[in-house]
Amino acid sequence: MNKGIKKWFSLNLGNKKQSNCGCSGSNCDGEVSGNKKDGISQVFDVDMNRRQAFKKITAGLMIGAGAVSTSCSVVSGDESKEKSQIEWEEYFKGNYKLMTDEEKDKTVNRLVRSYELRLGEKINISSKNAIDDVLFGYAFNISKCQGYMDCVNACVKENNQDRASEMQYIRIHEMNDGKGLNFGEADDSYYHEVPAQGHFYMGTQCFHCDNPPCVEVCPVQATWKEKDGIVVIDYDWCIGCRYCMAACPYDGRRFNWSTPQIPEQEVNKDQHYLGNRLRKKGVMEKCTFCIQRSRKGQNPACVEACPTGSRIFGNLLDPDSEVRWVLANKKVFRLKEDLGTEPKFWYFMD
Amino acid sequence: MKVLINLIKDSLVYLTHGRRSYHFWMAFLTFLMLIGMYSYSLQLEHGLSVTGMNDRVSWGLYISNFTFLVGIAAAAVMLVLPAYVLKDFDFKQAVLIGEGLAVAALFMCLAFIIADMGGPARLWHMIPGIGVFNFPNSMLTWDVLALNGYLFINISIPLYILIMRYQGKTPNPKIYIPGVMISVFWAVSIHLVTAFLYQGLQARPFWNNALLGPRFLASAFTAGPALIILVLAMIRKFTDFKIEDKTIQKIALVVTVAAQINLIMLISELFKEFYAPTHHSESAYYLFFGLHGKAKLVPWIWTAISMNVLATVILFFHKLRNNFTVLYFACTLLFIGIWIEKGFGLIVPGFIPGPWGKIAEYFPTLTEVGVTIGIWAMGAFIFSILARTGIAIELGKLKYKK
Amino acid sequence: MDIKLKIIFICTFILITSCKHKEDDYHNITDKIEDLSKDFKGVPISSDKYTETLKKVEVTENWQRFYIPERKSQIKSFECSECHSKPLYELQGEENIEKSHWDISLKHANLATMDCVTCHSENNMDELHSITGKRIDFNLSHKLCAQCHQNQFKDWSGGAHGKQIGGWAQPRVSQTCVGCHDPHKPGFEKRWPARYNVHMVDERK
Repeated sequence: MNKGIKKWFSLNLGNKKQSNCGCSGSNCDGEVSGNKKDGISQVFDVDMNRRQAFKKITAGLMIGAGAVSTSCSVVSGDESKEKSQIEWEEYFKGNYKLMTDEEKDKTVNRLVRSYELRLGEKINISSKNAIDDVLFGYAFNISKCQGYMDCVNACVKENNQDRASEMQYIRIHEMNDGKGLNFGEADDSYYHEVPAQGHFYMGTQCFHCDNPPCVEVCPVQATWKEKDGIVVIDYDWCIGCRYCMAACPYDGRRFNWSTPQIPEQEVNKDQHYLGNRLRKKGVMEKCTFCIQRSRKGQNPACVEACPTGSRIFGNLLDPDSEVRWVLANKKVFRLKEDLGTEPKFWYFMD
Repeated sequence: MKVLINLIKDSLVYLTHGRRSYHFWMAFLTFLMLIGMYSYSLQLEHGLSVTGMNDRVSWGLYISNFTFLVGIAAAAVMLVLPAYVLKDFDFKQAVLIGEGLAVAALFMCLAFIIADMGGPARLWHMIPGIGVFNFPNSMLTWDVLALNGYLFINISIPLYILIMRYQGKTPNPKIYIPGVMISVFWAVSIHLVTAFLYQGLQARPFWNNALLGPRFLASAFTAGPALIILVLAMIRKFTDFKIEDKTIQKIALVVTVAAQINLIMLISELFKEFYAPTHHSESAYYLFFGLHGKAKLVPWIWTAISMNVLATVILFFHKLRNNFTVLYFACTLLFIGIWIEKGFGLIVPGFIPGPWGKIAEYFPTLTEVGVTIGIWAMGAFIFSILARTGIAIELGKLKYKK
Repeated sequence: MDIKLKIIFICTFILITSCKHKEDDYHNITDKIEDLSKDFKGVPISSDKYTETLKKVEVTENWQRFYIPERKSQIKSFECSECHSKPLYELQGEENIEKSHWDISLKHANLATMDCVTCHSENNMDELHSITGKRIDFNLSHKLCAQCHQNQFKDWSGGAHGKQIGGWAQPRVSQTCVGCHDPHKPGFEKRWPARYNVHMVDERK
């Protein structure tokens, strides 16, 4: 029995000739015995069983990997050491929501430095917190929208989405007059002159609900509602389980099924940690009400770009804001209100 | 501790010896696992875009298999209840097999979850303490607790029993009976919690109904014991482990009743969706009849339903149920039928149509199928190891020598 | 029995601690907005940094006080009286006079409602006039549009019509009517959408 155990557990490099196979029913270590072969045949014609082959291949791989890593660290300079150091620290950092301002600054600096080391370009990542007494709200005028999709273009330009999969946070639906809000029969991939006869247009995106089902279901709290009402994602904390995507009733969330590709000259370098900084594969993303703009007092890119003025954005807590005026004076409604999600995105008509 | 090390050593030796068919079986499984590993490496390299999932249907083959296997794991332990509570000793033989099956199924579940993750390297984010564990809000965290707890119970209790038997001692009921009782209740709860994962989403009306949880339990108790019957049949054929006809017949009774309940629940669902169809019935229309010309899942669901109905009808008759060949056939039908129903008949249609009524169909890619096959092979591998060791200890072939 | 009691106790404990609690106690968002804006004192952000270089005029319409961009300095050929030194009918009689404004076509309302002198004062081209003949400054040309377009004017004064310049923060700077609508041809033409999502179409095949 002992001999049997030793045979299975020791790395048999095929040198010894086994005369006495003590095993029952399993392959013996095949050895070349008897005929002498020339050098090449000796290397290539050795009988191998699967187990032996696997052992030798693994040994080879381990040696190879070791050689590669040693050579790397000998040749690499301080830059790649710094890169690895940054990657190491970034991997082990915690959830952004729980970080102190100091830790937020540190991680932002690491990300800026990492980009500089990898691509030689300078970017600007902000970790600005929510402003007090601000609750962002959005109003959409469905009489005014003509279906131009300028908002979609501006959003993609502003937020560094993956170009390969044409990721867009905003959908513009061409609805049918007389059929009401029948999304099933609406078309969101039209391509003809707009506005088309017999249709009206409305846009959907993440509605930044006040009772967001996506926040409830995230197992690691990688997505949460900030104090100013914006529902954000910490891209480095997200594990990619896509439960939030199943929970969102409004098709608000997008997943990076592969590594996002953005041409270097199109990268928007004014970024926010929770907003348009560059994401990686396997993480969720969504509209953030252009957090990098709105926390500085600017309107989101979609609001800015709309040529007809259908989009209105502002502070719901300010009684003098435009969005409050809309809520007070226009007949507003929200989508799928019966689901109890309390979206902060209202629709109205002229 | 010494006993445990000896047990591992002895079982390793025992496991690497066997008949030719055994080696062929293990080699075949290893080959499938290598396919799985290769496919998974492709997925790690390129991301989940190598699968057929998209923004509309964001859960596919992996989660379907996960859901199905949680049911199998739950049902495997339900057999434990009659053995210890009702003191039905015919069941005792089935218990170790059942718990071994549960462990294998649980490992498969965990593997499917890891395969489905977009960022598996960041899974440590879920560990309470060093990560953030969103308990009790997120049902996923409940599921994590339930599954891991269940795995722990199902490893520790049989391990205790086996170590005792290995040493030739009798296991102390005072130690394992409470564990067994907990595992029985836990079995029901793991599948209920998994059902609640889907049931709680107000965004998906196909899942957001009260019957989902009970339906999960009914189909689990149909497919799980059906698999156990098939496994017991194979054990009878290939080992010396004595399993009486009575045991298999009693398990068959469990399968019959559960299959009938499953059918009643199906009828109830069909009535709700099609008597007065609303906007919320669109997913059901897509699944059973196709919607707007898209009908990829229609052949699948009707095959599954016919299999289930046929098997339920067969099992209804005592004569047919007691004929073991017919029984095995019916169990195979049920196993496959419920696999299809839980996967393509539940997970995928929940996402179609999307929130704005758009239909993007889903079909798994070769890579996805490769990983799935690899994980099933891994489960079969684990189960073969556990079953063989367990049976050897029960039969006294493996004994602790001081 | 002891074990069973323990199990029941643990289960009850888990059930009680897992009851969902809402972060805030508001029933819906409007209640929350009403409550939180009760003692609103303003935010530290202002739109001034985005509108510093813009010449602004303060207006008060429909009890709303806000800014609009100054217009007169933006009109290329202002002041009009540099050419229109004489009343129109006198200029029309003169020979050897260069034709200007030949490219302006009026596509606003029908001839029964509108022609050039509906808005422009013949004798004082530097100003506009209302239906009743009252003078309206070019900087406040919205008062002219408001006569017919009452609803749009009401919406615009509240901020629901038109574009805002300088972001969402106070003070509000609204684009004027003529900032988006050419007063001689105010309608928007039909056009093609800015993009077509091929990937989405493929996904749905």
